[in-house]
Amino acid sequence: MKLKINTEIALTHITSRMKQSIVAALGVTFGISMYIFVNSILSGTNDYFEKTTLSNIPHVRIYNDLNSDSVSVSQEYFGDQVVSAVSSQKPLSTTNNIRNPWYILNLVKRDPEVTAATAQVTSNVFYNNGSVQINGSAFGVNILEEDKMFDLKSMMQAGRIEDLLKINNGILIGSGIASKLNIKLNDNLYVASAQGVTKLMKVVGIFQTSISNVDNTKSYASISNVQQLLMEDGSYITDIKFNLKDKDLAPEYVNKYIHLTGYSAEAWSSANQTVGAGMVIRNFIAQAMLITILVVAGFGIYNILNMTIHEKMKDIAILKANGFAGNDITNIFITEATLIGLSGGVAGVILGYVISYLAAQIPIKLAGLNTLPIDFTPSNYILGFLFGTVTTLLAGYLPAKKAATVDPVQIIRG
Amino acid sequence: MDNTVLRANSINKYFYQPEPFHVIKDISMEINKGEFVSLIGKSGSGKTTFLYVLSTLDTDYQGSLEINHKTLTGKQIDELAQFRNEHIGFVFQFHYLLPEFSSIKNVMIPAQKLKRYSVGEIEERAYQKLKMLDVHEQALKPAGKLSGGQQQRVAIARALINDPTVIMADEPTGNLDSRNTGEVIEVFKHISKDLNQTIIAVTHDKDFAKNTDRIIEMSDGVILKK
Repeated sequence: MKLKINTEIALTHITSRMKQSIVAALGVTFGISMYIFVNSILSGTNDYFEKTTLSNIPHVRIYNDLNSDSVSVSQEYFGDQVVSAVSSQKPLSTTNNIRNPWYILNLVKRDPEVTAATAQVTSNVFYNNGSVQINGSAFGVNILEEDKMFDLKSMMQAGRIEDLLKINNGILIGSGIASKLNIKLNDNLYVASAQGVTKLMKVVGIFQTSISNVDNTKSYASISNVQQLLMEDGSYITDIKFNLKDKDLAPEYVNKYIHLTGYSAEAWSSANQTVGAGMVIRNFIAQAMLITILVVAGFGIYNILNMTIHEKMKDIAILKANGFAGNDITNIFITEATLIGLSGGVAGVILGYVISYLAAQIPIKLAGLNTLPIDFTPSNYILGFLFGTVTTLLAGYLPAKKAATVDPVQIIRG
Repeated sequence: MDNTVLRANSINKYFYQPEPFHVIKDISMEINKGEFVSLIGKSGSGKTTFLYVLSTLDTDYQGSLEINHKTLTGKQIDELAQFRNEHIGFVFQFHYLLPEFSSIKNVMIPAQKLKRYSVGEIEERAYQKLKMLDVHEQALKPAGKLSGGQQQRVAIARALINDPTVIMADEPTGNLDSRNTGEVIEVFKHISKDLNQTIIAVTHDKDFAKNTDRIIEMSDGVILKK
């Protein structure tokens, strides 16, 4: 193997001081593995929360918001020139359904970016079984589209969602409702609405979202069944909701459909700002911690190289006397830092994976989780490796630059 | 043809710490090719300082310096490093080998820097130099494990590896017993007589000086006798 003489000298320095080199590399290893582990658990957690959030919220929801800030006709006409003296103004009785919903739904469905879309009508209902009565909401949706959006199938404890299409009076209920009313699959229950309609419905499925608020109140039925509960006709739809291939495009689609339909629309991100804020804050804390870890590892390398250079003053002087330029000396010590950084980095990536893997086995029983949510995407590993090696190089650069300025006469003459 | 290998013109040098001090006072001199010169004088006479000026390691002086008909005064540090690599070999009082490297590697390093030959050839040449100095049996030992006399021979072998124009030695026998001193003197004589390389050695040792072609004695920054 033919190495450049500078590399050869660097290698000899490293191998002849194996212990110190290993300690320096371990600093990098530790820094990078922690970086990877913390980032993995963080993005795993964020993904989990995002998934949970999106398990019952569509990317975009179009709805007819009750608009009661009506201005009196006189004020609209004269503006501020008149004073309106109507007190205790009552809003006009309006319905909050979407007009011509099927046209809008078709429009949405034709968009290639849309992965799933359904019309929805919701009714507040009472679930009755014997003498027990609990209240909740019945959602009339296209259940197959709903499944595409929220992966209902994975949440089914019993029954099949397709049966909702086959059985005329079928209903899917949350697991909380089922246990409170002591209902099993294929049992019947009465569903009563505020409009005074009561329907006998057959439980064709029980689902569990692990969000207790949802499981205790929500049920799915066909759109027409919910319309009947509300005593409305077949065009009565309150929401149109859809998912996109890229959920980050939701705000754009919100604007587009507000413009197009004149109705209100809401993106998942604005409906759940606390979730987003939580992610940002967690990321911020993690980054601060990770920078600290890497800086500490960097100082370790800086220290060790500084020490090496101090001990190697005579060698540096002798190399310079024998014709090595300042650049060669810098080169030698940068090479040392790089080698330490790279080997520490590789070990760090491996250790990071091992720690993440082991942590992913830790059983926890919380909110539908069985183990710690850990993300194994390669980008965490690549970033960790890059940050680690760059830190090493920066930490190595300063002492190496200093080594280049050593005055050989001073050292040799003592 | 001009046989001069080193020419110094009115060299002046000052130390500023701890207080201003005129170390070398307007020295001019010439040294011919193949000459074995010793530079003697009492401690503080400025002889070592003068040697480092001549060696191009010390660039903080006034006057001009020419080696091998090339003016070196005012050259960039890196250019000087390259020049030393090719034209100047060093032997120091405390041998100054790189302790982690084998003896032969120590000899090879300046040549691998110069890259005049391939690594294989350099190794062969380094071995020849070690053999000439009778330390070839220690070739693969780490330099730090050799005795003082052996280390000094390896250092001389290193100084010779690039066939330099001038060999500069700073008290080359200062740390050696009389037997080793004698052998080093013989080697130096051989280098100057048979290989026609120039040697400039700073020394305290009167016996060493007697064996050289020319003795330059310095006192208080001036040359007493050439």
